[in-house]
Amino acid sequence: MAQRKISRVQAAPPPILLTGLGVQYDLRLSKKRKLRDTVLRDGRHSQSGKFWALRDVDFRVEAGESVAVIGPNGAGKSTMLQVLAGILEPSVGKVEVRGKIATLLQLGAGFDPELNARENTLLVGEFLGIPHKEMVRRVPAILEFAGLGEFAEAEVRTYSTGMRARLGFSVATSVEPDVLLLDEVLSTGDAAFIEKSRGRIMELMKRARAIVFVTHDLDSAATFCTRAIELEGGRIVADGPAKRVIAAYKKKMAKRSATASRSGQGARRGN
Amino acid sequence: MTTHSTELTVGRPRRGSIGTIFESLTSLVERRRLVWYLTISEIRNKGTNSLLGNVWWFLDPALQLFVYFLLVSVIFQQAQPAILLFLGAAILPWKWFTAALASATTSVRGREQVMRQIAFPHLVLPASSVLASVANFIFALVPLGALYLLYPDRLTPWALAVLPVAVVQFLWTIPAVIALSAVAVFFRDISNFIPHGLRIWFYLSPALFPIETLRAIGDRHPWFGFFVDINPFTWIFSGYRDALYYGRAPEWGPLGILALASIPATLLSIYLFRRVSPLFVKVL
Repeated sequence: MAQRKISRVQAAPPPILLTGLGVQYDLRLSKKRKLRDTVLRDGRHSQSGKFWALRDVDFRVEAGESVAVIGPNGAGKSTMLQVLAGILEPSVGKVEVRGKIATLLQLGAGFDPELNARENTLLVGEFLGIPHKEMVRRVPAILEFAGLGEFAEAEVRTYSTGMRARLGFSVATSVEPDVLLLDEVLSTGDAAFIEKSRGRIMELMKRARAIVFVTHDLDSAATFCTRAIELEGGRIVADGPAKRVIAAYKKKMAKRSATASRSGQGARRGN
Repeated sequence: MTTHSTELTVGRPRRGSIGTIFESLTSLVERRRLVWYLTISEIRNKGTNSLLGNVWWFLDPALQLFVYFLLVSVIFQQAQPAILLFLGAAILPWKWFTAALASATTSVRGREQVMRQIAFPHLVLPASSVLASVANFIFALVPLGALYLLYPDRLTPWALAVLPVAVVQFLWTIPAVIALSAVAVFFRDISNFIPHGLRIWFYLSPALFPIETLRAIGDRHPWFGFFVDINPFTWIFSGYRDALYYGRAPEWGPLGILALASIPATLLSIYLFRRVSPLFVKVL
């Protein structure tokens, strides 16, 4: 359970502050989760069936920083974004995020297939807690950016995957956030839209006070971000300037895959 | 770069039980439009994907009534004047309750996607299921009203008393749906169990037979009489039947007590829902 301590507001509190954060999953409650398969051999998985997706994370993002979160699958990257977005509550420790948040996790969440683009925009706006009037004002711009053409009046169930993602992107990026949380969304739709969405994200990044960007695309992380943290097994194992951390991570991964393929060949030879 | 808007958006301190309930209720008020949108979408989705579409809203209760009519009057040959009205007064509201509980089992579970992507007060989901279920009752009033064409002499001004009785039923639907929607997240098997549990409950309530039948059993077995008394549907069905069938005033006393008792039940269900809701995203 989260600590009940009330944080004292300092002179200039950072936009993001995680202290002693831990997120625990109880695998007995969620037997169907894939987590179990990926983590079974992991030390984090204790006998009681509890599993720490994040453990002892202290993380502070100052205004103006953009932080890339890198690491292998199952390292806790997405969990971290979910905690920052307020979707998951920490089991221990404290989360503080200040300011308006925009999360670009999976696009198109909250759409109702029976409603049209306009209605869905308003619906997702309500899920996000954006005041209705403000949302109504934004609808034309959102629809225009999504570029749905004549489909704007049709039900979302008739949309192609790309159209759905475009609408999702355009709704999610319509907020002007103080804190921007991104999870690998730069590859949405066709080439033209990717270009357009890249531009939009750059714009948001320029205006946001803090950015956390989860990605496997190390090159774009090195270009966009000022800082990078590497997660492994739910803990932060590296933190520093983006270029340095990413270069070190790449070297480590290359070494690891070399060892893996060598042992793989050895096993095959052994047979 | 702006230096303002440093309001804490994630990581508010947790509150005590009263605070939790109060916070949940305010969140519902703040998100009333979301509740409304979800309600409309739930009602609309029921009408789609079938040939007859929205006609099912009327047809479904009418067919169910017909089935029980066959059972009771043709097979069991129970002699009851104006039998269709007698049955309809209980079966049609019951249909509302079962539909509400059925939608409760999926109301949180079915929104897994959006819960994983957006932080919002999860209580809006069962709240909208409760509201959407009312449509079942409203549409059932049509076949119910049509029955008076068969038995015009049964129609009295007391028929209007269905509304307060329906309010009592609504008040109990709220905690039932909220609690069940949370439980169904953790125990998926409950949606298999619910129809059977509801059927037993239905047969132990005065729906297909008059209350006197149950009272007679209660006279022989006092424990059974106790269950008859604490079963809310004993009073709710009797209330509907008084208003619609006998053309007399419902027993306001027990109905009033039921209405009052629903308040602590609702607050408790809201509190429990809020306490377990942080687990939803982890479990789903």
